[in-house]
Amino acid sequence: MGVGFGRIQELFAGERYAAARKRGVEVVRILLRRPMGAIGLATILFFIGMALLAPLLAGPFPTYFPPANIGPPNLPPSSAFPLGTDPSGKNNFALLVYGARVSLIIGFAASGFAMVLGTTIGVAAGYYGRFVDRALSWITNFFLVIPWLPFVLVIASVLGRGFWTTVLAIAIVSWPTTARVVRAKVLSLRTLGYVQRARAIGASDGHIMTRHVLPVLGPLIFANTILTVSNSIFTESFLAFFGLGDTSQPSWGQMIENSWYNLDVLRGAWWAFLPPGICITALVLAFTMVSHVLEEILNPRLRKR
Amino acid sequence: MSATYRTYLLRKVAGLLVTVLLITSLNFFIFQVLPGDPTRILLPRGGGSPTDVINTTRLRDQLVHEWGLDRPVYERFGIYLWNLLHGNWGTTITYKAGNDVWAVILPSLANTLVLTGVGTVVAIYMGIKLGLFAGWRRGKRADETVVLSSLLLYSMPTFWLAIALIFIFAVYLPLLPVGGSVTPIVHDTLDVWGKLADRGIHLVLPLAAFILNEHAIFTLIMRNSLIEELSEDYMTTARAKGLSERQQLRRHAVPNARLPVSTLVALYIGWILSGAIVIEVVFGLNGVGNLTYEAVVNRDYPLLSAIFLVGTLGVIVANAILDVLYSYLDPRVTEA
Repeated sequence: MGVGFGRIQELFAGERYAAARKRGVEVVRILLRRPMGAIGLATILFFIGMALLAPLLAGPFPTYFPPANIGPPNLPPSSAFPLGTDPSGKNNFALLVYGARVSLIIGFAASGFAMVLGTTIGVAAGYYGRFVDRALSWITNFFLVIPWLPFVLVIASVLGRGFWTTVLAIAIVSWPTTARVVRAKVLSLRTLGYVQRARAIGASDGHIMTRHVLPVLGPLIFANTILTVSNSIFTESFLAFFGLGDTSQPSWGQMIENSWYNLDVLRGAWWAFLPPGICITALVLAFTMVSHVLEEILNPRLRKR
Repeated sequence: MSATYRTYLLRKVAGLLVTVLLITSLNFFIFQVLPGDPTRILLPRGGGSPTDVINTTRLRDQLVHEWGLDRPVYERFGIYLWNLLHGNWGTTITYKAGNDVWAVILPSLANTLVLTGVGTVVAIYMGIKLGLFAGWRRGKRADETVVLSSLLLYSMPTFWLAIALIFIFAVYLPLLPVGGSVTPIVHDTLDVWGKLADRGIHLVLPLAAFILNEHAIFTLIMRNSLIEELSEDYMTTARAKGLSERQQLRRHAVPNARLPVSTLVALYIGWILSGAIVIEVVFGLNGVGNLTYEAVVNRDYPLLSAIFLVGTLGVIVANAILDVLYSYLDPRVTEA
């Protein structure tokens, strides 16, 4: 590869980057014009900020060795501990702030896996059609109808708890929705003139899929992935509530589980279990709203009357 | 019954059988990942006799042979299928140890069916009504309120919604019981109607949590489906004919808009079951959900595996039945 080729590649990369950025800016502008989109985006940014600035907002992560952010157990809210302390004396507010990191990281990681898997299967099913399509669609539907919670619980209890178990379990139950949406879109793309023309002049399947099919799917996959992020955060909280989450990084779901075991509900200690649930709901809702608006932008049929 | 319909039914049944086989193999092979074998649990550190180690090893080997654990995996899979067909689904090992799994699962099945059955019917009914209400008022304040509240309820983790309801209606305002299927001790002193009422009052909060959480998805689907129908040409015709709003809706839009909802009901059965599981856990109701929780917490793998199989097979069979019913409602499906 000579200097010239690298230069050309760079140029092309720049051009494509500029086009993508323009389209991205356009989508964000439409998103911000809709109240639901603006509120959703603001909420997501709020939680990302919370995750990034956790040490500034809440001090160090609560630990015993060395002791940091620890007080007497089961304290009610005070100025030092705005949301009281948990049964082991950890600062609930700090746990809540650091919990944003867990939810966001697991949400993005799991939906990243689900997106790759779902897109691959969806594109293969839609593009090859016939037998491949029937087999893959059947597998997709199979995974779609399995009750997700028992399935996730079985996977997590067999693999043992941990970060990657959580991510894998969530990804396994989330990819089918992406695969279905992608397959439907590819089926309609396949019949379009430019794809058939590419095939007629002898382009390989791989070339057509990566150069002609995938770029068009971009926005659709993007909207779908955002919905998957919200599903992943939701699912993670269920796993944590069943005591199958990653214990090294306490999440909001685990805070609710701890509080539930500690019978905080009966003691009326709402500060221990209401805030983490509100955070989960807000973040899940924010991602759902953004994907809802994106879907309306991408699917004009829902807009017109 | 036409010939096409018969082939459609045959294909459905064949598909169902293959799915069932796939589920059972999935269930078998997932649990193969677990390290060790059952003898390790049965014979902790030498079978209760620390001095007689050699004998224990022999006992262990004998058990391994007797249970077929030394055979190749495909043979064990065959044995597993054979046992399933003969009603031998496994034995619980830690939770109520030593029972046939069916003896543990069966008593709790009825409770779960009551909760999910009543809950689902109400949730679907509410979803369809609210969806129509919102869809017809597309873009107005009422529509936005319904959509937003549905999205909000849909985003709440079911277990947290249940805990919040307990806090509000059983602790902060002590109106309803905090959990359990019946009031302990008092329940036995009541007459038949009293007992029924006692059970009913214990189901109010679980049902409320279930319905609030599950109706949202049906509301949103119904609304979108109605809006899509309203943009069709035949609705313009209906308006042009001078039909009243009520007639436009009832005769033209609703019957068509309802179809996607009925297919989605089939798809969401698994989802509904998942919601019921957590609600049972939070409210301490004796159902399959609570049993799942016990199996997970106690690491009772045979029980967990059996519950997973029962739940999944139930969902898949229900799905197939709904599919066939749906083809009866909308004959176009069989042609595809």
